[in-house]
Amino acid sequence: MIKLADVSYVRLGTRDLEGATHFATEYLGLDVAERAKGSVYFKSDEREHTLCYFEGDPGDQVVCFEVEEQLHLDEAAAQLEALGHPVRRGTASEAALRKVHDFIAFRDPTGNPIELAWRPGYSGRRYHGARDAGITGFSHVGICSSDLARDEAFWTKVTNAQVSDRIGDAPLLRIDEVHHTIALFPSSKPGIQHINHQVETGDDIMRSHQFLKDRQVRMVFGPGRHPTSSAKFLYFEGPDGMVFEYSSGVREIADELLWRERQFMFEPKGFCKWGAKPDIVEFNK
Amino acid sequence: MSDAITIEKLRYVRLGTADLKGATDFAARILGLQLVDKTDTAAYFRSDYRDHTLVYVDGLDAGQAIGFEVRDPDALAYAETVLGGAGFTTARGDAEACTIRKVRQFVSFRMAGGYDIELVVRPLESGWRYHGPRDAGITGLEAIALRGAPDASDQQVWTKLLGGKVSDWVGEAAYIRFDEAHHRIALHPSQEKGILSVEFGVEDVDLVMQNAYHLRGAQARIVDGPGRRTASQQLFLSVAGPDGVNFSYVAEGERLAAPRRARQFPRKRESFCTWGSDTQVPEYR
Repeated sequence: MIKLADVSYVRLGTRDLEGATHFATEYLGLDVAERAKGSVYFKSDEREHTLCYFEGDPGDQVVCFEVEEQLHLDEAAAQLEALGHPVRRGTASEAALRKVHDFIAFRDPTGNPIELAWRPGYSGRRYHGARDAGITGFSHVGICSSDLARDEAFWTKVTNAQVSDRIGDAPLLRIDEVHHTIALFPSSKPGIQHINHQVETGDDIMRSHQFLKDRQVRMVFGPGRHPTSSAKFLYFEGPDGMVFEYSSGVREIADELLWRERQFMFEPKGFCKWGAKPDIVEFNK
Repeated sequence: MSDAITIEKLRYVRLGTADLKGATDFAARILGLQLVDKTDTAAYFRSDYRDHTLVYVDGLDAGQAIGFEVRDPDALAYAETVLGGAGFTTARGDAEACTIRKVRQFVSFRMAGGYDIELVVRPLESGWRYHGPRDAGITGLEAIALRGAPDASDQQVWTKLLGGKVSDWVGEAAYIRFDEAHHRIALHPSQEKGILSVEFGVEDVDLVMQNAYHLRGAQARIVDGPGRRTASQQLFLSVAGPDGVNFSYVAEGERLAAPRRARQFPRKRESFCTWGSDTQVPEYR
């Protein structure tokens, strides 16, 4: 079993690096960690970076998880190869681009590019956002799935992910005490479905709602509150149609023995207990 | 101690209406208040353990009144003396007027803002709790926002005669308390007259937001919020009601365990909402 210790970063291709950088800093509220040739790295917490935009195909979207031991990369590679998932070892220069010591890359059953990294970089310089969005850190990703049951089985059998709750057949998966770090949503094609950053309070959610609305950012869901994780949320659209989420107050599941996953309806009320309706394809039937 | 009148509690609001049927529908279906008594000329609504906290009376000439409870007949007689000494013309309610208000005795006088203050003794309580037609989560009548004299000259009626304490000012607008709540009266200097908003407490942030989505769905006109008030830290949401009177849902907010000095906030929109919400209410701009 592959032990995922944390979600580390996402890498997103874009044809408009300057526009994406403007959005990530001025609107989303991230902090530029480094501008390199053809890419910009963004900080959201104590880590060196948690988002990287690079010049390229907007369909090129990668999510990376941290493993605790270098040995785990070899074990994971062997296990994935045995299951028929081709694995590629990252080169030293690729590892340097990702600011990790070592990594492997593969695709999940839907075809989403996934990376597992050992020793991703932290930084001594603390996060200080371009605006006061109250961000406390990059927290989870929604991933597209062309077969929810198959992909749930992949993540829960091959990795340490466990189902916290389901909305319809869409599983919300945890790898530690946080209610979910990976969420799978139905889609005909692979890709990152949404990128979540936690913010300090519900007030930050509402302030950002006003701030972004005033600047004509397209709101796609919320403000609202998830009945599953109990987090207050706001979803809005960023560059290349990527959906970004702020949330606050996510449930922690401390006692594994007592927790049983719950079944919620794949309807607006399964996603929001305030009455908001999603304008997100993957959240609608 | 000053020789001010001692107000025990904010009790009720009486509103004359041009359309009693429409106003009754609004109070029950839109706001979620419980209709407890209906006569040919009035409709009484419950919001908490009191018999009623809102009355709609047929005809705009019925005016607007706010009921405050005083301890006993002696306190009421003292109030008459104090008000008379300050140049107010007071009127004793007759038996019929008392029956209509469901109180034992009352004295009324007219404020510069165009509404009456009614000081009442032994207003009717209900042993039966509030149960609204929908789950609006209302906890009770919390406060009244008033339009006052443009130069704020009527503020001292509240502080000197009626024993209120200013908790905070925003420009010349004053939040006035009578008990542990940050304010029961908000007095906003205005070119207009009359009651600005009747405010009902709801349980928590979930109810404020659920009501916001419910009101939008019911095509009610939201005129302020949802937001968080800068001075009182209350969550708020205001909707336009019949006859130019707004209604608000409020939650959370400061409770004063001990007296504190009043603070002066600048007259800016940021002093009315820390979320940056828009308002259609001129007094809150």
